[in-house]
Amino acid sequence: MYVYDQFDHALVRERNAEFSDQVARRLSGELSEDQFKPLRLMNGLYLQLHAYMLRIAIPYGVLSSVQMRKFAHIARTYDRDFGHFTTRQNLQFNWIKLADTPKILEELAEVEMHAMQTSGNCIRNTTTDQFSGAAKDELDDPRPWAELIRQWSTIHPEFTFLPRKFKIAITGATKDRAAIRVHDIGLHLTPKGFEVYVGGGMGRTPHLGHLIKSGVPGEKLLSYLEACLRVYNRYGRRDNIYKARIKILVSALGPDEYARQVEEEWNTLDQAAIDAPYYEIDRIRSFFPDPAFADKAFDQAALDRAKAADPAFARWVRNNTHAHKRDDHVSVTISTKPVGLPPGDASSAQMDVMADVADSFAYGELRVAHDQNIILPHVAKADLYALYQQLDRVNLSTANAKKISDIIACPGLDYCTLANARSIPLSQEISKRFADADLTDEIGELEIKISGCINACGHHHVGHIGILGVDKQGIEFYQILLGGRADEKAALGVITGKGLPAEAVPAAIERVVRLYLQLRTSPAERFIDVVERLGRETFAEALHEPA
Amino acid sequence: MKLLTANRLTDGLVLWYADGQWVEDAAIATHLEDAAGEALKAEWVARETEVVAPYLIPVTDDGTPVQRELVREFVRANGPTIGQTTFDTAKQFNRDEVFQ
Repeated sequence: MYVYDQFDHALVRERNAEFSDQVARRLSGELSEDQFKPLRLMNGLYLQLHAYMLRIAIPYGVLSSVQMRKFAHIARTYDRDFGHFTTRQNLQFNWIKLADTPKILEELAEVEMHAMQTSGNCIRNTTTDQFSGAAKDELDDPRPWAELIRQWSTIHPEFTFLPRKFKIAITGATKDRAAIRVHDIGLHLTPKGFEVYVGGGMGRTPHLGHLIKSGVPGEKLLSYLEACLRVYNRYGRRDNIYKARIKILVSALGPDEYARQVEEEWNTLDQAAIDAPYYEIDRIRSFFPDPAFADKAFDQAALDRAKAADPAFARWVRNNTHAHKRDDHVSVTISTKPVGLPPGDASSAQMDVMADVADSFAYGELRVAHDQNIILPHVAKADLYALYQQLDRVNLSTANAKKISDIIACPGLDYCTLANARSIPLSQEISKRFADADLTDEIGELEIKISGCINACGHHHVGHIGILGVDKQGIEFYQILLGGRADEKAALGVITGKGLPAEAVPAAIERVVRLYLQLRTSPAERFIDVVERLGRETFAEALHEPA
Repeated sequence: MKLLTANRLTDGLVLWYADGQWVEDAAIATHLEDAAGEALKAEWVARETEVVAPYLIPVTDDGTPVQRELVREFVRANGPTIGQTTFDTAKQFNRDEVFQ
């Protein structure tokens, strides 16, 4: 993975010193809250419902075991012994003291991490496929390009005060696991260069991104992105926060006209001054080699015997492993979603175990997926049972990847000042309702995504079943959306039926799922396939209790 | 009647105004007449080295926040309603949750 050079170290050191001084001035009263708020937000520090929340950037979701162990230490020392992995592939600590933040940022800098650009109207952490560099279906590794974008965008003076925040996602595989069509810019890395999708996003007015250019060569990527950002920075709506995202501009201009303006801008730019030279791209690429894969003797018969003797292990292998480019390896999903617990939460003890197993079985590398799970990208098949047993001791062996209980949920009204309704308790109740692992397996792939407000941090627009919490005269209500998906066939879900009170939602979901089981033509036909074949209205009646 | 609440500057924890001081336990918050509440809020808005963003919550006759505020203030007063942090504020004061 990328290793900081002297410039990265100096930048983070100087920024931490600056913020440390700002915190001291706020505590002394020299800075007012109005003066301090934008400064703390630029360093990832929010004041939430109960306490300060520190959001730490995990560049494109890639973590070392050393960094994970540092998170465990911070959770134990400065927080309430746990952290929360987010849909932006970042980590949030929910109980931080203001005076501790300079020390925490110093500790993060020791392991080449920071909290810059995790808030504010700037280019945020670039996200990517959690199986980058490992997946069997990968065309090219997106991580070097994500790192190039990180270096280009970090405190980019022209793009520090955009009309609104700006999110870029990259995938380099045939399957889109990075949800590129619902990002401000989505990049699909192909053998013929980048396909550039612009104007996607969720929130109040969801849009799918439009393909505005294909075949952008890697060595021209930065100047093309700069042209995209420049047109947005110039014409994006600054007068109305609800119309300030690039999706609104692209929609207003039309994708063709936006693309024309970008092309015109691109041709006026001094591209050579912006684009990274070949040797720099090669230098960055050199940080992402394959690990020194161990040639461990793999005994298929021994694995089969272990699975036969331990059905829970067999289920975990079936559900939580992903095809690797090497036949003797797999990628492993560590589910942070045991039945009844908050999605994305991990205790310090669990973080330590994840770091330990990464060292023992995964070449020291971990990933944070946008579905809030943790990935070990490279695991020898010979090590699977030993790995499973260690994870099982700390409740990290739930075999539900991509299943109905693998729910994305934003923090919701339990933590977030913006939320209208709680998300996590609902996800807990739904996962308890589908606690039967056999039933979960029978249902197959089904993605539920819950947001506690219209800002859609829980990606409800692209859930096979999306759930949106709303406030109805002081009562939490939930609207159900059906038919969304974030993959290469991206689609936005549509609100179906009337809003439901929280206590009615799990039963409504179960009725929909039972109907799906009746209607599917075979177990291979997934819930989303049936919704697309028969239409979401087929399920509308099932959402409501029979009269 | 109203309750005055804010977050503490140093750690962001939820505070309630009670008999001349700020406390973490919502169960003992003072019920303020509207005018007195407004005057206290104005006083504390200026004292930024102690609390952040003080505001008033309208309460009903039985002392609970009015309906439109109830869920949010229930969670603020008692702590998150989930997992390892369930009602941690209520637990800290060894009491049942307030604003049920």
